[in-house]
Amino acid sequence: MMRTKRKLTLLILIFLGVVFFGICKGSVSISITELFTEANQQILHLRVARVMLAILVGSGLGVCGVTLQAILKNPLAEPYLLGTSSGAGFGAVLAIILGVSGTFLPFFAFAGALLSIVLVYNLAREGETIPVQSLILSGVIVAITLSGIIVFLVSIFSNQTLHGIMWWLLGSLQIYELRLLVTVGLIVLAGLVSIFVLSQDLNAISIGEEEAFHLGVNTETLKKVLFLITSLITGALVSVSGMIGFVGLIVPHMMRLIFGPNHKILIPATCLGAAAFLVVCDTLSRSLIPPIEIPIGVITSLLGAPIFIILLKRKQKIK
Amino acid sequence: MKTILELDTVSGGYGRETVLKDISFSLEGGEFLGIIGPNGSGKSTLLKLMSRALFPQKGKIRFKNNDLSTVRLKDLAQEVAFLAQDTLISFSFSVWEIVLMGRIPHLKRLQFETKKDFLIAEKSLSFTDSLHLKDKKINQLSAGERQRVILAKALAQEPILLFLDEPTSHLDIGHQVQILDLLKRLNRQTNLTIVVVLHDLNLASSYCNRLLLINEGKIFKDGSPEEVLTYQTIETVYKTVVVVNKNPLSSKPYIILASQDEQRQ
Amino acid sequence: MKKIILVVNLILIVSCFFQNLSSASDKQRQRIISLAPATTEILFSLGLDEEIVGVTTFCNYPLAAEKKEKVGTFSQPNIEKILSLKPDLVLATGLEQAYIVGKLKQIGLKVYVSDPSTIGELMNSIKEIGHLTHRESEASVVVAGMEAKIRQISEKVKLIDQDKKPKVFIEIWHDPLMAAGQGSFVDELITLVGGINIAHDTPRAYSYFSPEQVIERNPDCIIFGYMSDPENQINIKGRMGWDKIKAVKANHLYNDINPDLFLRPGPRLADGLEEIYERLYNK
Repeated sequence: MMRTKRKLTLLILIFLGVVFFGICKGSVSISITELFTEANQQILHLRVARVMLAILVGSGLGVCGVTLQAILKNPLAEPYLLGTSSGAGFGAVLAIILGVSGTFLPFFAFAGALLSIVLVYNLAREGETIPVQSLILSGVIVAITLSGIIVFLVSIFSNQTLHGIMWWLLGSLQIYELRLLVTVGLIVLAGLVSIFVLSQDLNAISIGEEEAFHLGVNTETLKKVLFLITSLITGALVSVSGMIGFVGLIVPHMMRLIFGPNHKILIPATCLGAAAFLVVCDTLSRSLIPPIEIPIGVITSLLGAPIFIILLKRKQKIK
Repeated sequence: MKTILELDTVSGGYGRETVLKDISFSLEGGEFLGIIGPNGSGKSTLLKLMSRALFPQKGKIRFKNNDLSTVRLKDLAQEVAFLAQDTLISFSFSVWEIVLMGRIPHLKRLQFETKKDFLIAEKSLSFTDSLHLKDKKINQLSAGERQRVILAKALAQEPILLFLDEPTSHLDIGHQVQILDLLKRLNRQTNLTIVVVLHDLNLASSYCNRLLLINEGKIFKDGSPEEVLTYQTIETVYKTVVVVNKNPLSSKPYIILASQDEQRQ
Repeated sequence: MKKIILVVNLILIVSCFFQNLSSASDKQRQRIISLAPATTEILFSLGLDEEIVGVTTFCNYPLAAEKKEKVGTFSQPNIEKILSLKPDLVLATGLEQAYIVGKLKQIGLKVYVSDPSTIGELMNSIKEIGHLTHRESEASVVVAGMEAKIRQISEKVKLIDQDKKPKVFIEIWHDPLMAAGQGSFVDELITLVGGINIAHDTPRAYSYFSPEQVIERNPDCIIFGYMSDPENQINIKGRMGWDKIKAVKANHLYNDINPDLFLRPGPRLADGLEEIYERLYNK
C-alpha cells in the first residue's frame, strides 16, 4: 500500500504541474507575470477554459475506458466501441445540414448520442439480460451503420458538411461557451462519481460475471447502469470535443500497468493520469507551431504510443 | 441438524426448455452432498437452481425457511459461496486482492476493509495452503494453485453452504485429491455444508456422505454411496457395463469400468 | 445560255461548299465537361452553354448550370457517366482531383487542369480555357473586366491613409477554427484592398488557427467564409475571450458576402473584391 500511496502522490503532483504548464503555455508567448494582468485576461480565461475541458475529456474518456474494459472483459474495449460517438457525429451532421450549427450543434450531437444509446440497448437486450457479446456486436453495428450514413450525407451535401465533420473526426478542445463547459462538466462529474462508488462491483465483475453474481453483485443491473453512465459521459464529451483517440483505450492500460487492477485505486488514478495526459497533448497542439493548431488526435497518438511501449517493455523486463 | 435448503417439486430450465422435472429433496446442515449423473442430465442446472442463479419454473425452493427467490443477493452471498467451473481471470489481480474480494458481501460499497477482514482472508489462505502465494499475480499461478486461491476467496465469505461445479475437471490426480481433502476437512472441522457436482464416481464415493443421482432431469436415486452406487443402478443410468467392488482403503463402493474385451471374458 | 449554266454551276458548287462548312461546324461543336464549380463558372462566362454537357452537383452558378447533366460530386465524379457523354474536353482542378485526372487521361480523354494559386494565374487559366474552347476573344473580355475592377479598387485604396488600413481575420470555419492564410485567393484580395490579413504568416492557404492568436492580433474586421444565420454572429460575441476584440466590439462582423465570391477561383473574384472593399471602408 505504501508504494501505491507514493505513486498516487507523485501522480497528483504531476497533474498539478501539468495544469500549470497548460495555462502558462500557449499559442501566444506571454510570460507568467504578464499573463495574470488585466490586459491578458481574455487569453487567460480562454486557456483556463481549455485546460478544464481537457481535464474533463481526459478523465471522462479514461474512466469510461477502464469501466468498459472491466464489464466487457475485453482489453480492446474503449468509449467509442458502443456507438455513442457515431451517434453524436450523425447528430452533428444533421445540425450542419439544417444550418443550425454553431450554437445548436452540441445539442444535436448529444441527441444523436442518445439515439445510439437507445438503439444499442434495444438491439443487445435479450429479455431481462444484456449478454456482453451482444452488447459489443450491437455497438459495432450501430457505429458502422451511423458512420455510413454520415459519409453518405457528407458526400451529397455541400462543402460545409465537409468542414463541419472535420471537427468530429479530428477532435478539438476549443471551447467558446462557458455554459457548455459547465453543463458537460456536471454530467461528467456526476458520471465519474457514480462509477467510483461502484468500484467494488467493478472489481467483482472483472473476475467474471458468475463470480460477481455469487459475491452478491446484481450483474445485469450493473451492466445496464454502467452502459448508460459511460454512454452519457462519452456522448456529452463527443458532442463538445469530437472524437479524440487513444485516451480511452491505451491510457487505461497504462494506468493499470502502474497501479494495478483494483478499481478503488485505478479509477481515481485514471482520472488524474488521463486528464494530465490530455492537458499535455492539448498544450503541445497549441504551442508547437503557432499560430497553427495541430489536431489533437495526432498528438495523442504520437505521444501516447511511445509512453505505452516504454511501460510495457519495463513490465516485461520485470517478469 | 437444521434443514438449510429445501426443494419442493421443482422444475427448472432455460427459456421455454425444461431440463429438470419434479425435484424434491432437503439438504441438512453439515452434509457433504455429491450430485452425479450422465452428461446433460441436469446436474449444473440443479446447482444453479440451488444457488439462486436460476429461478424455478415450477415449485418452491426454501433457504432456511425463506423463499430463495426473495432473498437479497448480497444477504445470500454472506452465507452461500459458489465455485464456478471456469476459473480463468484475465486481469492481474494479486492473490491477496482476489481473496479479499470474498469479503465484498460483508462490506458496504465505499467501506474499506478492516483488520477483521484481513485476518479472515489470511486464515482462508493458510487453510488452503496458499498463504505463500499471497503477493503473486493470479494469472501467474498453475491451475491447482488457482483453484486453491479461488477456494480461499469462497471461504473468506464465511459461508455456511458451499457449492462447487466440477472442481476437479481441470486438475491432475494429485490436485484432485488435495482439493477434496481440503473440503472434507472443512466439512468435518467447521460443519460447512458442501454440495459438489462431480463426474468422477469414485471420487464422489470416497468423499461424499450422500449422493444424488440425476438422470434425464429427475432424481434417480438419493442416498448414501453404498445405496446409490450399485452396478444395476449405474448400468441403467450410464448404459455401460461396470463392476462394483469395495475400495480397500475406504470400504466405500469402487466402480470398475469394463471395456468390450473385458466384458466378453 | 452557256453563261447561265456557268453561273448556276458556280452557285451550286459554292452552296455545297457552304453546306460542308456549316455541317462541319455542327460536327465541331465542342462537348465540354466541367468537374468543378469554378471551371463551370469560367465556361459560362465565356458564353458557352450548349457546349457544356456535364457539370458536378455542386455547380450552382449561374442558374443555368443547375439544369445541366450531373456527372457526380466534386470529389467523386462518375467516370462512366463522363464517358457516356462523349466529351471532347474535360476541365478539372488541382490536387483533390489528381486521381480522376490520371484515370481520365489514361482512357484517352483530353483533360485540362486549372489550378491557379494567384489571381494572375487564374487570369492566365481563363485565357487558356478560352483558347481551348475557341473563345479567345470572350476570354480577353472577361479578364479585362476583372483587371478593370481590380484597378479601380487599387486606385481607391491608394487614397487611403496607411494607418486606416484595417486588420482582417477571415474565418473559414468555426469549429475547429480555420483561417485563410497566405496562398489563398482571399488573402490576395485582402492585400489588394489594402487590408492586413492577420493570418498571413500561416504556411498553407487554409489551416487550423489558434483562437488565442485572434485575440492577441486583434483584427478590426472579421469576414466569415461560411453562410451563417445571424445567430452565429451573436455567437461570436458570446465566444469566451473574444469580447474585447476590436472587430467584435465595433460589430465589424461580415457574414453577408457569398463565400463563393472570394473562395472560388473563378471570374467572380473581382466581384468578391468589390464586396470586401464595400464592407471594409464604407461602414
